[in-house]
Amino acid sequence: MTIRGPDGYAARFPLLSAAGQARLRWLEEHAQAPRFNHLGVDRLNAAGVARVAAFERDLLAGPRGWAAGGLPPWVAAFAAFCCREVPAYRDPNPPERFSDLPTSDRADLSRAPWAFVPDAQPLDGLIVFQTSGTTGHPLNILTHPEALSHYWPLLRAALAAYGVPLNAAGAASPPASVVVVCFQATTYTYAALAAYLNQAGLAKVNLHPNDWRDPADRSAFLEACRPEIITGDPVSLAELARLPVSLRPLALVSTSMALLPGLRQELEARFGCPVVDVYSLNEAGPVAVTAPGGGGHWLLQSRLYVEVLDEDGAPCPPGARGEVTLTGGFNPFLPLLRYRTGDWASLDASDPRQLRLVGLEGRAPVIFLAADGRPVNNIDVTAALKPLALAQYRLHQSRNGQLQFGVAAPDYDEAAIRAALLGVFGPHAALVIEPFDPATSGKLTQYSRDSD
Amino acid sequence: MNTEGPPLETLTRRLAECPPEFLTLPRVGETGAVHVDAVVSDLLRDLGGEGLSAAAAGPFRSRNRKADRARLSLALLACWLLHDEWFVARPRFAEAALRLLSQGLTELAATTATANFVSDADRREELARLCLRELGLRPAGENIAQAQDRLATLNAAERQRVIKASQQAEQRAQQIRAAMQAKAEAEANAKAMRE
Repeated sequence: MTIRGPDGYAARFPLLSAAGQARLRWLEEHAQAPRFNHLGVDRLNAAGVARVAAFERDLLAGPRGWAAGGLPPWVAAFAAFCCREVPAYRDPNPPERFSDLPTSDRADLSRAPWAFVPDAQPLDGLIVFQTSGTTGHPLNILTHPEALSHYWPLLRAALAAYGVPLNAAGAASPPASVVVVCFQATTYTYAALAAYLNQAGLAKVNLHPNDWRDPADRSAFLEACRPEIITGDPVSLAELARLPVSLRPLALVSTSMALLPGLRQELEARFGCPVVDVYSLNEAGPVAVTAPGGGGHWLLQSRLYVEVLDEDGAPCPPGARGEVTLTGGFNPFLPLLRYRTGDWASLDASDPRQLRLVGLEGRAPVIFLAADGRPVNNIDVTAALKPLALAQYRLHQSRNGQLQFGVAAPDYDEAAIRAALLGVFGPHAALVIEPFDPATSGKLTQYSRDSD
Repeated sequence: MNTEGPPLETLTRRLAECPPEFLTLPRVGETGAVHVDAVVSDLLRDLGGEGLSAAAAGPFRSRNRKADRARLSLALLACWLLHDEWFVARPRFAEAALRLLSQGLTELAATTATANFVSDADRREELARLCLRELGLRPAGENIAQAQDRLATLNAAERQRVIKASQQAEQRAQQIRAAMQAKAEAEANAKAMRE
């Protein structure tokens, strides 16, 4: 499906300006543009822009943290609202202590997303995102164009940590200020404008050759777009680095999967700019950004309370690892109350104005067995692989102890991977290393083990 | 209901005067203060029975707050009610009390908050009558038909309220599901990043 043409521009972009329309037309009609398969829309109106601007002011002014052991001042009222107005959390007599409230998780959301919509929330403008997920619970995320526009101030805050601006469009702006790159067999692609950035151009493209009339068009189109910011998952950014493309963005933003330091360094050298790793969830938007210089992820949102909980829902002591659990957020169709993300980290609250997540890893820890029978935490595996520039990998251990390591093709150093893994599991560990095609594998479970 | 029990008023008054300890959160997993299994065990002994065996304690121990907190909370309140001197003075109710506490409160707990069985007169009466029935008793001064009718009336009124609330919730859920279907297939909302 190829979608072009000016019809309905104003419906898609209520604040459309002449300059914005010119940028959109350029993106959609460029001779080397990909076969966009969807119409990009951004239904933000003037009142919405004002509300997102207020959110950004609040973001800049408010602390992104709280005193250790305490709650941000807004949480009690927010929890009371959820218990009163949101079917999924309804409790006419909620416990007095916040930490006694039950938790919710992806399975709850997957089963009945409508139960998370507050009773009085108008349904006008509701949109639905479908996500595949890695935990066996596909999600329908109910949201709103205005909620999606909150990503811009949060992206700007993440970039600001690295001294990189996210510019509103002006006369000299490129056709696409932001390009979202993907690399997979099929995905939504579109050209759009960001009303919050004064009609800045946005293109979401799939680097898979099948999406283009000529594979060489990928480099030509991206160079013509002159993006200031490029966002994508590590696999897509690694594919971008392999293209014979000459781009000088202000920053790359890595999302969606863990970014290993080796790949980060390669990307920084290749594109001559910082690579900003953002921890973001469909359920909550951007949550945290890797602190410059390392040492964990800085929280990004000022109205998102982050707990780290043990399996029983009790808060972990400072410094102990547990499940990252969220309360608050900016999506009016999905207020989060003690929502367990499935991701694990510890919380460093030493600076109450800027908390950080330390040792963030997706999903619950997996304990492997070394050749001599000793337990091996998946964190040790991640650490051993850090120096390698792997975009994506998975490790599975069979019941007989054999390790199967899958690595995204095509470029990888098998000897280096083997040395790193045998260093962790012992020289006599049974290890098979094989490539997989990241374009067709979808999201993956990074670490797994046959149950005994 | 074949046997006449205590006056209803003594039981409803006892509920209204429930001390806060019996309304605090039951222990579920690592949260909550009151170990309901221990309270039940003490009650059964005071009612002439034996304390809970490990197997019988199972329904009163849980790690799932969402599924079990309300039921355990109501069981705790019922323990307070059944510790009335009228029952303690006639030590033959332990077996029926265990059946009630472990199996007989689930439905009630799912529809009505425990605190309402203290603050609301009709709910106090409903819980008192239900407990009497499960122990094979009826309120003093009532015949079987009167006791059955009154409990059924209370049940029906509460059930109507629950049904109405449930219908409203389902109507809202249907509205949202319809709105979810209405999304234009050819459109994609602009978003700064993948997740």
